[in-house]
Amino acid sequence: MKAFLVRRIYTSFITFIVVIAIVFLLARMTGDPLAELANDPRISPATIAALKAAFGLDRPLHEQFVNYVVNLFRGDLGYSLHYKAPVFDIIMQKLPYTLALLIPSITLSNYLAYTIGIEIGWRRGTRLDSVFMSVSMFIRSTPYFWLAIIFLFVFSVQLRLTPIFGAVTPGKSFSLTWDWISDYLWHYILPFFVMTFRGFLSELIYVRNVVVDVLGEDFVTTAVAKGLPEKYVKRKYVARNAMLPIVTVLGMRYAFIIDGAIQTETVFSYPGTGRLVYEAIFNRDFWLLQGAVVILTMSVIVVNFIIDLLYAYLDPRVRYR
Amino acid sequence: MSSVNVYSWQYKLREFWSVFRRDRAAIVGLVILAVIVFIAVFADYIAPYNPFARVGRPYEPPSPKHLLGTNDIGQDIFSELIYGARASLFIGFVAAVTATTLGTLVGVSAGYYGRVVDEILMRITDIWLSIPSLLFSIFLAAVIIRTGRLPMYYSVILAIALTSWPPVARLTRSATLSLKERPYIEATLALGASSRRIIFRHILPNIAPIILVEIVVRTGNAMLTEATLSFLGLGDPTVKSWGTILNFAMVKNAPILGLWWWFLPPGLMIAVTVMSVMMVGRGLEIYFNPRLRRY
Repeated sequence: MKAFLVRRIYTSFITFIVVIAIVFLLARMTGDPLAELANDPRISPATIAALKAAFGLDRPLHEQFVNYVVNLFRGDLGYSLHYKAPVFDIIMQKLPYTLALLIPSITLSNYLAYTIGIEIGWRRGTRLDSVFMSVSMFIRSTPYFWLAIIFLFVFSVQLRLTPIFGAVTPGKSFSLTWDWISDYLWHYILPFFVMTFRGFLSELIYVRNVVVDVLGEDFVTTAVAKGLPEKYVKRKYVARNAMLPIVTVLGMRYAFIIDGAIQTETVFSYPGTGRLVYEAIFNRDFWLLQGAVVILTMSVIVVNFIIDLLYAYLDPRVRYR
Repeated sequence: MSSVNVYSWQYKLREFWSVFRRDRAAIVGLVILAVIVFIAVFADYIAPYNPFARVGRPYEPPSPKHLLGTNDIGQDIFSELIYGARASLFIGFVAAVTATTLGTLVGVSAGYYGRVVDEILMRITDIWLSIPSLLFSIFLAAVIIRTGRLPMYYSVILAIALTSWPPVARLTRSATLSLKERPYIEATLALGASSRRIIFRHILPNIAPIILVEIVVRTGNAMLTEATLSFLGLGDPTVKSWGTILNFAMVKNAPILGLWWWFLPPGLMIAVTVMSVMMVGRGLEIYFNPRLRRY
C-alpha cells in the first residue's frame, strides 16, 4: 500500500507540473503579460521596464517557469486588473460557494444514479428502462446552460418560487444566523437541483450500461441457476461488481460537474468560482481566468488522487499491481 | 442464382441499409438531421427575412409577420434561427473532424510504435483529460482571442478541437494495438512493408468505422460546446449561431422578462439536432459492431 501511495503521489505531482506547464506556455503564447499596461498612455516605458524586471519577465523562459511554479506554491497567481486584487484571494473568497454546490450535488446525484441505475439495469428492455433512457438521452442533448435557463424561467420567473439571482438577498441584514441560513438555502435550492438533476441523468445511463454488462457475466447466471433469491443476487453480486467501474469514472464526473458549475452559476448569477470564470471572460481579465483554470484543475487532480485511494481500498488487486 | 460480388460498394451499401433501417431511432435521427441540413443549406430561400437586417420594432412578440417575434434590435428571430443552423452545424462538424484527425494521429502512433512513444503520448492524453474540458476550451479560446491572430470564428473551432481529441486517441490506440497483433500484419511486416504502408493500407482502413462513428458523435458534442462557448461570450458575435442568439438573449435578460420565444427555440433546435446526430451515431455503431445488434 505504501509503494502504491508513493507512486500515486509521484504521478499526481507530474500531472500537476505538466498542467501548470501547459497553462504557463499557453498564457505566454498570448504575448506580453504587461500588454494591457503598455497600451496605457499614462504609464511611461521606464515604469514598464521596471515592472518587467520586478516580475522577472526579462529573464529566460525556463527561469520564468520556475519562478511561476514557486509563486504558485506561495499562493501567488498574479493580479486581477479588473478587481484590482490578487487573483488567489478573489478565487479563495468565491470557492466555498462553489464547493458547497459541488460536493452535495455530486454525492446526491451519484447516490441516486447508483441506486436507480441498478434497478433499471436489472429491468433492462422494459418500458421503465426505455423511458429513463430516452429522457436522459434528450436531457443530455440539451445545452447545460439552457436547461438552467429553463429552470430559472419556470421556477423563478413564472412560478416565483425561488429568487432569480445571487446566493443571499443583497442588502438584507440578518438578525439571526438562522435567517441567513434559510435565505441562503432559498437561493441555493434551484442551482443545486439543476446540477444534481443533470449529473444524475448523465450518470444514470452509465450505471445502467455497467449493470447490463455485469448481468451478462457467468457468475450471475450461476447465482441465478443455483436458486439464490433475486434480491440477494442484485445486492451482493450485481451491485457490488458494478461499483468498481462507477468509482473509476467519478474523477471524470467531478471534472464534468465543474463545467456544469460554470454554466449554472453564470445563469443564476451565483457568486462562486464558476461565475468568476464568466466574469473574467466578460471583463477580458485574462489573469483571473488563468488562476481559475489552475485552481479548479488542481482540485480535479486532488479528487482523482482520493478516488484512486478509494479504488485501491475497494479492489486489492490495484495495490499490488 | 447469379453470384453477388460482396466486395462491391453497391453490395456493402445495400447490406448497410438493411441493418441500419431496422433501427427505428437511427432512421428518425437521420430524417431530422436531413431536414436540418436542408434548412442550413437553403437558409437563403427559407428564411423570411435577412437575419442581420432590422425588420421590425425591438422586442416584438410572436405574430404572423414575425413567427418568433423580434430581438432587442428588431431582427427577426425565426430567420436568425434558420441561419443559425448553418453556423452551428458547420462549426460542430469542422471541429469534430479536426478533433478526430488529431486523436487518430495520436492514438495510431501510440498504438503502432508502442514503448516510449506510447508511454509519452498516453500520459499526455491522460493529463489532458484531467483538465475540465469546458474550462479548458474556455481558456484556449481566450488564449487564441488574446493572441489576436485568428478570427474569433476559428478560435471557437480550434478551442473545441484541441480539447475533444483525447477520447478518440484512446479508442484508436486500443484498436491499433489489437490490429497489430493480427497474423496478416505480421506477415506484411515480414514481407518488408514500411510502417507507412502498414498504417495507411492496413490499420487506417480497418479502424475507419471507429473514426466515422467518432466524427458523428464528436459533432454532437462539439455543437453543444460551441453553444456554451458562444453563450459565455467567446463566440464570434457577428456570426448567427444558436449559441450566439442565446448569448444575446441572456445578456438582454430574456428569461427574466419572460420572452420565451427568444431563448426557448434556439436551445430546442440544439437539443433536437444533437439528439438526432447521436441517434445516427448509435445506428452506425450498431452496424459496425454486430455484437450490439438485437434480433
